Order: sequence, then C-alpha cells, then structure tokens
Amino acid sequence: MIALITSIIAAAIRIATPLTFAGIGEAINEKSGVINIGLDSIMLSGAFVSFYVCNKTDNILLGVFAGLISGIIISLFHGYLAIKGKANQTIIGLALNFFALGLTSFLFLVGFGTSTELPTCRIVSNISIPLLNKIPILGEVVFSQNIFVYLLFLTIILSYIIMYKTSWGISLISVGENPKAADTAGIDVKKTRYLACIINGLLGGLAGSYLTLAQLGFFMENITNGKGYMALVAVILGKRNPLGIFLAALVIGVADATQIRLQTAGIPLPSEIFTMLPYFVAMIVLLFSIKNNKDPLALGTPYERNAR
Amino acid sequence: MDKKKKGKIISIFLIAIITLFISWILILLVGTSFTKACSGFYKGILGSSYNISEVLVKMSPLLLCSIGISVAFQTNFINIGADGQLYIGAIIATIVAMYFNLPTILVLIIALILGFIFGGMYSLIPGILKSKFGISEVINTIMLNYIAIGITGILVKTILMDKSGYFPMSPEIEASFPIIIGKTRLHLGIIISIVLALVVQFWLDRTKSGFYIRAIGQNVRASRCAGIKINKNILISAMLSGGFAALAGVFEILGVQHRLMVGISSDFGYTAIIVALLANNKPKNCILTSLGIAALQVGSLSMQRYAGVPSSIALLIMGVIVLLHLGNEALFPFLYKESK
Repeated sequence: MIALITSIIAAAIRIATPLTFAGIGEAINEKSGVINIGLDSIMLSGAFVSFYVCNKTDNILLGVFAGLISGIIISLFHGYLAIKGKANQTIIGLALNFFALGLTSFLFLVGFGTSTELPTCRIVSNISIPLLNKIPILGEVVFSQNIFVYLLFLTIILSYIIMYKTSWGISLISVGENPKAADTAGIDVKKTRYLACIINGLLGGLAGSYLTLAQLGFFMENITNGKGYMALVAVILGKRNPLGIFLAALVIGVADATQIRLQTAGIPLPSEIFTMLPYFVAMIVLLFSIKNNKDPLALGTPYERNAR
Repeated sequence: MDKKKKGKIISIFLIAIITLFISWILILLVGTSFTKACSGFYKGILGSSYNISEVLVKMSPLLLCSIGISVAFQTNFINIGADGQLYIGAIIATIVAMYFNLPTILVLIIALILGFIFGGMYSLIPGILKSKFGISEVINTIMLNYIAIGITGILVKTILMDKSGYFPMSPEIEASFPIIIGKTRLHLGIIISIVLALVVQFWLDRTKSGFYIRAIGQNVRASRCAGIKINKNILISAMLSGGFAALAGVFEILGVQHRLMVGISSDFGYTAIIVALLANNKPKNCILTSLGIAALQVGSLSMQRYAGVPSSIALLIMGVIVLLHLGNEALFPFLYKESK
C-alpha cells in the first residue's frame, strides 16, 4: 500500500512539474496585468523546438535552450499585441494556441515525414541524490527525480523571493494593480510587463522542453493536449503564489496519476470514467477556491498613459 | 474616422497578401510546386459539384457553432466549449433516434428541440459558475469539452453501443434530414443554419433583448448603470451559444454521419471560434467566414492528397489570419496614422 502511494505521488510530481513551471510563468505575467490564455502555445512550441534540436544535434542542453527561446518569442508576440496593440488578451492567447498547433504539426510533418517509425530523442536521466534518496518515501518521491524536477524546486523558491521579497516584485504587483500609480511613481509599466512576458515564455518553454526531453522522448501532434489550460487551473487555484501553484498542480497530478493506475487495474468499466477524473477534479476544486478571489485589478486591461 | 475605415480595408488586402506569401513559403518548404498544390486545392473545393457540396457540408456545423460563439462573445462570455456542447447535441439526437419510436419527422423535430435545450443547459454550467461565482468560463468550458467527450465514450460503450458490432459506436441511425441535392451529403441543415444566422443577427440588431446583449459587450459598467441585468444576459448568451452548438451536433448525427462515436467533431467547436473572430462576432458575417474556413479545410485536405502538403497547413493559415486580423492596428500602425 505504501509502495503504491509512494509511486502515485512520485508520478504526480512528474505530472505537476510542467504545470507548475508554466503556471509560475503565467502567474508572474498575470501579476503584471497581462493574462495569457495561450500557455498551450508556449508549451507546444517549447516542446517541438526542444525535440527538433535535440533530435538533430543529440544535445539536450542545446534543445532546452532552443525551447526556451521559442517560448519567449511566442510570449513576446502575445505581449506585443496586448501591450502595444491593446488587443483583447484572452482572444489573442486563444488565437496563438491555434497558430502554434498548426505550426508545430506542419513543421513536424515536414521535418520528419509520416514514417511509421516515431522519431525519438534522448531524454534526461534520473539523478538520485546520495544519502537523501535513502529516506523512506521522501527519498523516492523527491530525491530520485530528473534534473527538471530539481530545477522546479529552485524555481519555486526563486520566484517566491522575486515576487514577494524584491523591489522588482513590488513594481510587478503595482503595475498589475494600479498601472497609473506605478507610472506616477516612476515605474516603467511597459518594460515591467514585457519582462514579465519574457519570464512567462521562459518558464512555459521549459515546461514544453520537459514534456519532450524528460517525460516522453518523442513529439507528436498536439502533444500538450490541454496541459496549458490545466496550468491555468493551477494558477487560479494556487492564487498566483508559486508554492500554491505547485500544490494545486500536485492535486491535478494525483488525480491524473490515480486514474492511470485505475485504468490499468483491470476494472471492467469504460476507461473514460477514469480519464475524465482530472477534469472533474479541476472543476470541483476551482469551485471551492473562489472565496477571496484576488485578481490583479488591471488584469487584462492595456495601460494608456493619457486615458482617464 | 474615414481614415480608419480606409485603413481597415487596406489591412484586409495586406493580410491576404501576407497569408498568400506565407502559404507559398510553406509549400516550398514541403518541396512541391506551388501550382501543383494550388490545383490540388482548387480541385478539392470546386473540382465537381460533389466537392462544392462537401464544402457546404463542412460549413454547416462551423456556422451553427460560430453563431452561438458570436452571441457569447458579445457578452464577453468566452465560450470555448462549443465542441463539448456539439457532442451533447449529438448524444441527444442519438438517444431520441434510438429510443423514441416515432415517425421520422417527429424524431427530427424532437431531436432539434431537446438537443438545443440540453446543449443550452450544458453551457449554463460554466455560465452559472461565471456569473454567480466568478470562475473563469474559459477553463470550465474546456474542462467540459473533455468531459463531454468522456461521456460520449462511456455511452457508446454501454447503453448506446451497437450490440452487433465490436467497435465503440452507436448502431446506424435511419432517421435522416432530407438531402437537398441528390447524390451528395448536403442536408437541410445548411439552409436552416444560414436562416438562423440571419435571424440571430436581426435579433441582436433590432430587438430590445438583443440590444442588451450587445450593450454588455460594449461596456459592462454603463449597462449596469442603465439597469440591464448583467448576469441574466450572460446566462442567456451562454445558453443560446450552447444550444446552437448542440444543433450542429444534432445535424451531424441525423444529417451526415448517422452514427455516434468519439471523433464525430473534427474540432468544429474550436475552428468555429476562428470563424466568429474573423466575423467580428456578427452572425451574418459568420456565413461568409464559415464558408471560407470550410473551403480552406476541404481544399487543404485535397492539397494533401494531390501534392503531399500536410493538411495542418489549414490550421496554421487560420492562425496567421486571425492573429493578423486581431493585431492589425499594432502590426500595421502606418495604416492608422493621422496625416497632419
């Protein structure tokens, strides 16, 4: 029983990792007042570019790097249309999802053809931390994961410090809550928002790299399959707090890991009953998280200096 | 103001040129000749009367879903759940056809009415969650898409399963909407959906309740001050949008596919979002844009057969067009600059 629970939690962490990466990026983006529903597009492009580069060069580091760049490009494009173009941010994010899905599917088919053999790439191996991995339960759950998971723990701590303990974090929040006041206080609203977009692209790209370079080792059409939206659930549920987002992603991860277990357990029920579980959990959990909803006041509204 | 209108018109041409240029590059990337690809595309949509009818068959669900999405977007209810709502309509149509022992005409009418009601109710879930609890409808509608597909999967493996077969699908359904041109799959749904688009446009433009819907989209605060009940109207638009998407599902089952299974919607509900966006959320514009998008999809499939260009090029081109359309003031600022 303990072995089962341990393995489910370990799997939940692996499922939660990309959601948390992307979620923290989105949280920073939203704190600045820009909402990007197109997390899926960032992850998808990160996943594809990472895979492509890693497949061609056999260099994982180079693959991750390229994935980050592609994520940043997509996120900056969203930022440009939202901040400069003052377009509806939700709609643009949505459109970016279509665009990225089309682009990655097209380039994948052009680059690798439609052979029956799935093209693959190297994936990162698990690193067991000596001594710590001997701790019962925790050793397997936390200290025998791949480099991305360790990077995730670092990102959670760092982003927490940046958001709540640095002056840039305060500018970030003020730009999202009251851009006019922030502008009056001498904070460059646009620069802060663009920087938040870059961070979102970076972390979203990393989430994408994780999918292809750590979890799967291959790419296929629509590989994210709605994970970007799941990350958005984690953002709302975690109230845009890095640690909260991780815990929220873990809840989704546990639901998903459990349903995979149940599917393979040989219970004579249609498998869809189990595959629906994470989506139900997401909706129900959202319903219980609505008390004291603290959206940044300027979320989704472009800043105009001369507007009244 | 005049300058702005002129800028908009020029931007449409610019978008067309950029899109053509990008498609040209993409086709070169594949390594086939542009003319071969174009002729494949042309044959696919206009090659014969059957091809033309196939475009219209594709257009019908896109149009119905996009009418609903347009109404929802007018009140800023970002309904991404049309795909799930379509499945609900399809399920209802299958149940009515399988279990209601009635003459065909009654089956068709009851399926349309019940489909509309249940699709509307399914869409009311995120509507209520948004208006009463303030939970993002974007996320809930997407979750409900997955859930609707899950429900379909469960049903076609259990009570709606074809017992004589092995695959998870319903038995073939005999009740069918009349085919309007012989030897094609073009059914009555296309005419009904075009009429509905015009009716809904009239409702939005010329009636009080339609005006409320538009007013909320323009300015929520002003509408609230004017005494318009915001939540009630959001719920109305949510319900209507779900209802129309469900009608698309009813027509798919009783007009085109005649069997319920997972996969009856080739992402109609998602593509319809693009249709609505390009139509500036106006149902009457949806008629033309859904025709265009359907032609693009059917044409690109044929381009894949004739010239080996992956059909995902359609999605890519749609994405480019929508992004250029939405961002045109940021991307082509020179068109909108006031000349002094």
